[in-house]
Amino acid sequence: MTQILQPETLDEALAVLAAEDEAMPMSGGATLVAMKNARLVEPTHLVSLDRIAGLRGIATLPDGRIRIGAMTRHFETASSALLTGSLSVLRQAAGKIANRVVRNMGTMGGSVANADPAADYLPALACCDAVLTIARAGGERELSILDYVEDWYETALEEGEVITAFTLPAPEESPSAYRKIARVTGDFATASCAMALTADGQGIRVAIGACGPGPLRDPEAEQALIGKLDDPDAVTALAERLVAMADPIDDVRGTADYRLALIPRLVRQGLDDLKKDLR
Amino acid sequence: MAKKQLFSLSVNGEEVDVASPSDATLLETLREDLRVLSPKRGCNQGVCGACTVLVDGVPVRSCLTLTALCEGHDIGTVDGMGEDPILATLQKHMVEKGGVQCGFCTGGMLMSARNLLAETPRPSRDTVKSALSGNICRCTGYRTIVDAVCGAAEELAQ
Repeated sequence: MTQILQPETLDEALAVLAAEDEAMPMSGGATLVAMKNARLVEPTHLVSLDRIAGLRGIATLPDGRIRIGAMTRHFETASSALLTGSLSVLRQAAGKIANRVVRNMGTMGGSVANADPAADYLPALACCDAVLTIARAGGERELSILDYVEDWYETALEEGEVITAFTLPAPEESPSAYRKIARVTGDFATASCAMALTADGQGIRVAIGACGPGPLRDPEAEQALIGKLDDPDAVTALAERLVAMADPIDDVRGTADYRLALIPRLVRQGLDDLKKDLR
Repeated sequence: MAKKQLFSLSVNGEEVDVASPSDATLLETLREDLRVLSPKRGCNQGVCGACTVLVDGVPVRSCLTLTALCEGHDIGTVDGMGEDPILATLQKHMVEKGGVQCGFCTGGMLMSARNLLAETPRPSRDTVKSALSGNICRCTGYRTIVDAVCGAAEELAQ
C-alpha cells in the first residue's frame, strides 16, 4: 500500500524523497497513477507536489526570460499569453497533448520527468533552448534540455531529484510552430517537429520528436543553414543531418522507416509555413 | 485487505465522511465506497474517458485522481447535477438524437460536453469533436453524440 503525502514546502518533499528509497514524487498523476493502477510502479510513498506554493504558473522574469513552474498544467501552457513569437511553439505543443481533460491534469514537469520519447514537450522545449531547474535535498542545479535525455526513458534526473521549473529565453517576435503527425487527434506523436525562425529571419532552430530516445537537434547544422533558408539543397542537408541522428523504433504508431521518411518532410513543410508567417 | 482511511469529501454538494483505502483513486471511492455509479471504470488508465468527473468544476479523470488529494475540493458527477440547465439540455438531446446506446460512455461524454458548452457557447462541429476526443464510445455511436451536443448548443444559444 502506498502512503500519500502532501507536503506544503519543497524542502519537506525533498527530505522525504531523500530519506525513502521507494518514494516517488507525483505531479498531475496523469501518467504515474495510470502506471500505479497497472501495477507497473508500487512506491512506498507518493509525494504529491500539488500543495507546494510557487511550483505552478508562468511568469516573465525581470530580465525578460520566461519561467514556467513544473506544476503548470498543460491547459495553462496552451493558453498562456506570455508564450508568443519564438516561444509560441511551446504553447502549440501543449495544446496538442492528449485531450482537454488530460490537459487539465497533466503538468510540464511530470511529462518531462517521464520523458516519453513521443510526448510533445521535449522537442518544443529543445527548440526553445529551455533550461531545467532540478532540486534535491540541500541544493539545486540547472541543466540544458539538450543534455537531459540520456537513453530511452532514461534522463539526467537522479533519485531524490525533482524538476521545479523551466526557464526559456525572452520571446522574440519571429514565428515558431509545432507540427505533429499522429494517427488520431490526441495520440502520442508518430513524429513531430518544433521549429522557430531566428530573430533576424535568416536561420532556424529545429527539433524532431518521437524519432529517438530524446529530441533531435543539431545546432551546428543550423549554423550552416544561416542565410540559406531559400536554398532547397541547404535545407535538405540539415534534414539529412537530423535523419542521421535519428534512432526510431517500429511500433504501433508507425515503422522506423516511415518515421525517417517523415523527418525531411516535416522540416520542409515547417519551414514553408514559418516563411509564410513572416510575409 | 487494504488499510482504510477516513476522508472528508464534498460530493455533489453534500459533505460526506467516507472510509476508503488510503491510496484509493477517486473512481474507487466514488463507486465502491459511496456507490456513486455514473463514473464508470473502463480502462483505469485515463484513456477512455468513462470515469470523467468534475473537481471544482474542472473535468478530470477520476481513475487518475487520488482521493487523498480531493479533500477540500468540490466533486461533481452526473448524479448530482439534475438542476444544471446545460446538462439537462444535453441529456434531452442525447435521448432525442439517439446518442445513448449501451450508455457506458455517456456520463463521461456529458461531463466533457458540459465543460465545452460552459466555455464555448457556439462551438463548431469540429470543436465538438475535438472536445469529445478524449471520450471513447465502443458502440461507435459518435455521430449521434456529436449531433446531440450540437443540438444542445443551438438550443442553449437561443
